Amino acid sequence: MVQALQEAPPGHYRFRQVLKSETLKVLTLRSTAITAGLTVVTGLLATALVTHAQLHHRPGSYAGFDPTQESLTGLLIAGLTGGVFGALLITAEYSSGTIRATMAATPRRLLLLVTKIGVAATGVVVFCELLSFACFFLGQAILTGAGPPSATLGTPGALRAVVLAGVFIALLALMSFGFGVILRSTAGAIGAFAGVVFVLPIVMYGISQPDLRYVPTNMLELSIMATVNRAGAAAGLGGALPLSPAAALVLMAAYAAASLATGAVLFVRRDG
Amino acid sequence: MIEACRLTKRYGGKAAVDDLSFTVRPGVVTGFLGPNGSGKSTTMRMIMGLDYPDSGSALIRGRPYAELPWPLREVGGLLDAKAFHPDRSARNHLRWLALSNDIPLRRVDEVLDQVGLGSVAARRAGTFSLGMSQRLGIAATMLGDPGVVLFDEPVNGLDPEGIRWVRHFLRDLAAGGRTVLVSSHLIGEMSLTADRLIVIGRGRLVAETSVADFVAGSGGRAVKLVTPDRAGFTSALTSVGATVGDGDAGSLTVEGLTAAQIGELAARHGFVVHELTPTAASLEDAFMELTRTVVEFRPSTMAGPAGAGEPQ
Repeated sequence: MVQALQEAPPGHYRFRQVLKSETLKVLTLRSTAITAGLTVVTGLLATALVTHAQLHHRPGSYAGFDPTQESLTGLLIAGLTGGVFGALLITAEYSSGTIRATMAATPRRLLLLVTKIGVAATGVVVFCELLSFACFFLGQAILTGAGPPSATLGTPGALRAVVLAGVFIALLALMSFGFGVILRSTAGAIGAFAGVVFVLPIVMYGISQPDLRYVPTNMLELSIMATVNRAGAAAGLGGALPLSPAAALVLMAAYAAASLATGAVLFVRRDG
Repeated sequence: MIEACRLTKRYGGKAAVDDLSFTVRPGVVTGFLGPNGSGKSTTMRMIMGLDYPDSGSALIRGRPYAELPWPLREVGGLLDAKAFHPDRSARNHLRWLALSNDIPLRRVDEVLDQVGLGSVAARRAGTFSLGMSQRLGIAATMLGDPGVVLFDEPVNGLDPEGIRWVRHFLRDLAAGGRTVLVSSHLIGEMSLTADRLIVIGRGRLVAETSVADFVAGSGGRAVKLVTPDRAGFTSALTSVGATVGDGDAGSLTVEGLTAAQIGELAARHGFVVHELTPTAASLEDAFMELTRTVVEFRPSTMAGPAGAGEPQ
């Protein structure tokens, strides 16, 4: 029943082996398909409802209307599910005990973690770019010729908003992944993500409204998705202007990097 | 070959593994024996590079686990029967493991067939019984056809058929020249499976010996004897040098003679025998005696200092 010992191939396992392994892991989890499916359905539905609600207003009431931002509303839902997906990618390994099998198969931990981050980032970026374009085209199809202004990809700022929204959500997911590595618990990581992204803005509204522009959800909505009327958005920021798209992207990348770096230090040093 | 050299691991100031050194050789099954909480699992996790020792080292063929070029092709470890995601099928669980070490994917179905899970390969592993989970864990250890295998309490929760299957499996692995380390807190099971024993208590080495020596040192196995003529049989046994004690429910416990010798004695004297059974009772006694001073947990009805909680 037991076969003779085999010779191992030359060299050692590298990024390529870990990448193939981690990719298969993501693709063979039901939660991946369920999360993706729910995000597509609810995201497109949100975009359809929000843009449709803008129809048939009086012609004069569309001053400052941003058709690009309106059509990307569905991406806010992807921001939530992307965070959950990012956290689950690592916390599901801890809750199921798979992490030990993973670390035993590929014990170089930094390589393992960097590969996982790469797989998560690539998956979320590709998915969210597709969803972002789908939301944009769906929203514009509803708006076009029905009264409100509408946009095309050639409209100033539109292509930038559509593309960066997907990248921004990937960074949100990576920040959440970092929380998952740090906390090793699904409930803890999703709680931390929801706290930072959804609860913190409410608390900060009562403390310092201008600082709300540094909060991820506001950066996504007011800096990344917006293409017109930036001064008009300032009402919710206590008179301050939203960050520029580039500044918002860099700051979000810094948030994600801080979370991931903390997680990486713990992941390498901690008992598995 | 596994070498543990002065391994030490502390949790909150308390040593879970304390200056532990031993060698596990290829070609035989080595039993890793100790009471609950004695540090067996912690030691195995350190051998597999999952937990970091505070001092000392564990080497596999001369290298730390983290430096193995293809870990799954050199070491198969079953530390936790349920170390898989319940949503993934058995086949997909083994496929990601195979990909991580460039193991040909045909091995996945080979090892699933070997452990008898070929027909449920596509089923979600979360629906498996404990016995099936153990088999999947064993299949995972065999994926890379490793020369060194570690099993932590592999028969826990298995039915008698499963226990026998694991026992034969481990002995086959050793017979094929592999290094086999298997932990247990049951001396009876180890005496049937292992050739060599590493006995620990409170994280310290208590004995490194062969099973044969351990059994001999314990005075051999006892034999349970049920007979209607207790007094006559007892005097006949003691006259040939056997030790006779009272067993359960009116039986006698005979030490110093084999069951065959007792049967022959009965035939010569014409004693009626209702039952004649070799038992491992004396092995358990020897094990408990050996680890008595270092036992971590014991019921409150027993004398002795209570130990602190088991480290996580």
